Amino acid sequence: MPVDRFQGFAFQAADLSEDVDLDPEQRKEILFAQAHLGDFTHWQVLGIPWNAPADKAREAYREKVKVFHPDRYPGRRLGSYRARLEQIFRRLTEARDTLSSEASRAVYARQTAPPEEFARAEAQRLDDEARARERRARLARTNPLVARVGRVHEMVERGKRQMAEGHFTQALNDLSTALAIDPTLPEVKALAQEARKRANAERAKDCWDKAHSAEAVNNLELAQDMAAEAAAGDPSNPRYPVFAARLALRRGARDEARAHAEAAVRAAPAHGPAHEVLGEVLAEQGDRAGAKRELERALELDPGLEGARERLKRLRWSFLG
Amino acid sequence: MSETEPFVGIDLGTTNSVVATVIDGVPRVIANRIGQVLTPSVVAVSKNGKRLVGNIAKRQAITNAENTVFAAKRLIGRRWGSKEIEDARRVLPYQLVPGPEGHDVRVVLGGRTFAIPEVSAMVLAELKADAEAFFGRRVAKAVITVPAYFNDGQRQATKDAGRIAGFEVLRIINEPTSAALAYGFGKQMEKKVVVFDLGGGTFDISVLDIGKSVYDVVAVGGDTYLGGEDFDRRIMDWLTFSFAKENQGIDLRQDTMALQRLRDAAEKAKIELSSVQSAAIHLPFLAAAGEGKAALHLAKQLGREKLEELSKDLVDRCVHVTERTLRDAGIRPAQVGEVLLVGGMTRVPRIQQAVKQFFGREPSRGVHPEEVVALGAAIQAHALLYPQKDREVLLLDVTPQNLGIMVVGGYFATIIPKNTTVPTSQTHVFTTVQDQQTSVRIAVLQGGSDKAIENELLGEFILDGIRAAKRGEVEIEVAFDISADGIVAVAARDVDTGQRQSITVTATSGLTENELRRILDENLDELLERKQSGELERVRERAQAMIEEIEGLVPQVREALTRSHYGKDALQKAEGVVSRARAAIASQDLQQMAAAEEQLDRTVQLFKGLAGGASIPGGEA
Repeated sequence: MPVDRFQGFAFQAADLSEDVDLDPEQRKEILFAQAHLGDFTHWQVLGIPWNAPADKAREAYREKVKVFHPDRYPGRRLGSYRARLEQIFRRLTEARDTLSSEASRAVYARQTAPPEEFARAEAQRLDDEARARERRARLARTNPLVARVGRVHEMVERGKRQMAEGHFTQALNDLSTALAIDPTLPEVKALAQEARKRANAERAKDCWDKAHSAEAVNNLELAQDMAAEAAAGDPSNPRYPVFAARLALRRGARDEARAHAEAAVRAAPAHGPAHEVLGEVLAEQGDRAGAKRELERALELDPGLEGARERLKRLRWSFLG
Repeated sequence: MSETEPFVGIDLGTTNSVVATVIDGVPRVIANRIGQVLTPSVVAVSKNGKRLVGNIAKRQAITNAENTVFAAKRLIGRRWGSKEIEDARRVLPYQLVPGPEGHDVRVVLGGRTFAIPEVSAMVLAELKADAEAFFGRRVAKAVITVPAYFNDGQRQATKDAGRIAGFEVLRIINEPTSAALAYGFGKQMEKKVVVFDLGGGTFDISVLDIGKSVYDVVAVGGDTYLGGEDFDRRIMDWLTFSFAKENQGIDLRQDTMALQRLRDAAEKAKIELSSVQSAAIHLPFLAAAGEGKAALHLAKQLGREKLEELSKDLVDRCVHVTERTLRDAGIRPAQVGEVLLVGGMTRVPRIQQAVKQFFGREPSRGVHPEEVVALGAAIQAHALLYPQKDREVLLLDVTPQNLGIMVVGGYFATIIPKNTTVPTSQTHVFTTVQDQQTSVRIAVLQGGSDKAIENELLGEFILDGIRAAKRGEVEIEVAFDISADGIVAVAARDVDTGQRQSITVTATSGLTENELRRILDENLDELLERKQSGELERVRERAQAMIEEIEGLVPQVREALTRSHYGKDALQKAEGVVSRARAAIASQDLQQMAAAEEQLDRTVQLFKGLAGGASIPGGEA
């Protein structure tokens, strides 16, 4: 036993001289334990090293309660020491309850780990993970079934990564391959569908840009093709067929223009420009009543369409004239 | 032993009670004054108004069923109107009435009502007298056992019973824990022990972790309404039913005397079946058959298999409770190092078989199932009075049920969960819900249900004198404390001012403090009276002897006086003294008698002198 087991603790003279039936050593023991209830961990309260096993905690508890249970001082005057003992006893019990169940003990051990222990545990965890990865890789090399599963897993992972980065076409490629190997993956199926949609939209945008470039150099036919392809790639966007219809109209290809314009109206019945272009096509084709109806509808949906207003005016005049 | 004050451990059972002590470090049971270890927990008032306890009360139960109280333990600490009391009223031959406050239960005995703790106190007083006869001196200190599953009300009432009987109750401990203590006493062991305690009225199961003389209870469970008497009732029901079938529907349950005979016969048959395969039940002249017909007899043969069939669900209930308790303790049956069987009912082969099957091991046969609980209580009493370094014993028990309060919506909020090691305490902060609110009502309950109403109400507390403030501003911290006895105490203080709040108990299932004091006072009177009457008896005897002596000396004295010149009035004086003494004896007044005794004594001395003088011729006279 070390000489100063109370580590230089400053005892209150009043406590040591209280008129109770306890000898000075017992008083010191009780006062010291009580003073440290706040700053000691459960391990320290029980006097066992950090992360000691559950058995040790139970054993230490039994030893400690023999000192700190009020029943151990029957028939003695305890004064303020009775409350102190009860307080210590409750804390000992709490410590025992926490540390004797494996689950709560592990949680508490992590919470109270000393810094170097924490670092060591963390390193251990990373090490364990690396080893697990290596084991999986080795397994994949030796077992064809595992290898196949591994490959699918790999491709799905890469597909996901590419989607996150915005490379939808490549993602679609990988996901489709994965599905070809194992078609029973519902999550991958949904993912592939999404990738296809996004890839098409991307391609449509691409065609759209090309259409504008072609128009700029007056290659109307190529521009119209590109716009049509964009419309096919992303049917939800009416701007593509509207543009295709205008380009066709400029080329004088009225039937093609009408097909594009009708497709635009079908895709977006509430899109003003789609009705406008259909009206123009119908006017060109001589269906004045139809043209008028479409142009009025276009203006109704979008009063800012000056071109449509002009056209309608002209239609009315010529109709009157 | 002589230097220490005597003490006892008492197993206050439903059907039988046992008292024990520790002498020279060895625990031993104390036999009652008729030499038996078991004293029936039966109290009666005979036809001529005499109070009877124990064997003598049990023997006259058949002819005096309405005034014989048995199984009081099933009623102790229960509230009037509770399911248990309602059930008991249907089957018990004696009458139950509500107490003056309407909360507790009273029993009518010889035209007087008694609180249940008073009835139990009569049994305890009997055991106390047995112990005092054994020690030859006063015994005051005792540890009394209760089923582990007893709630606060039942514990409190048992402690009150001890106080009424004149005991200083050192501790209320749990029966299974007590049994484990007796089992482990003097042994070095480090293992988990399960105590399976099936007694007359209650079933208890406890899981203990024993090591280094520390008895650490891990979990307890049980059923306060499952015991030997339930097995007896099954047999009784079977008997009454088949009797009715054979005798044109005569219902024996209408006849309290027949019922009592059936009860005795059922118990006897059950005990017999523990050692033999079949028991005969003969009850001649059990019922009258009607005008002019011969009385009816009952003769049945009860086989062990039939009993097992009748009681199958009771055994299943035991196993079910055992399962749940082990789960609470977080251990598997295979981890159990020892299974102790306690209580007379564990002699039943089917019970032993069920235990063996569940734990996959033979239960321990090292303890005497009926004595072990009292022995453990004596060991604990010894440890609490005289702690020794070499034979230290420390008991760490747990609270058997969740302790909590009723919260909004009639729900139950647990404050101290069951299986918490006692002593323990927990605080809870309450706040006012209305502006200027000056009192808070708190219902404290014990039990396992989420709904407050399904749990046992321990008491309602009203915190008043709260300082007036806006709602939510006053916070009151209520401390719930469970002592090592398992008894609950509640204290409250204002968080901000630190001021203590007064707490009033408005409803409990036991006696109020005032009532308890009154009963204690009454008993004190009785004790004083009894003591006095002993003294009175001795004085009376002495006075009577002196009167006889004086009367015997009269002829001699008269003769002597004829020859004397003085003391002529001595005879008249003596006559006056004797008649006053006779009056004092008749009055039974100790003070008057003491005065008369003194005068008689002087007269005797005088007469002796005179008579002596007469016998010596020529003497001084």
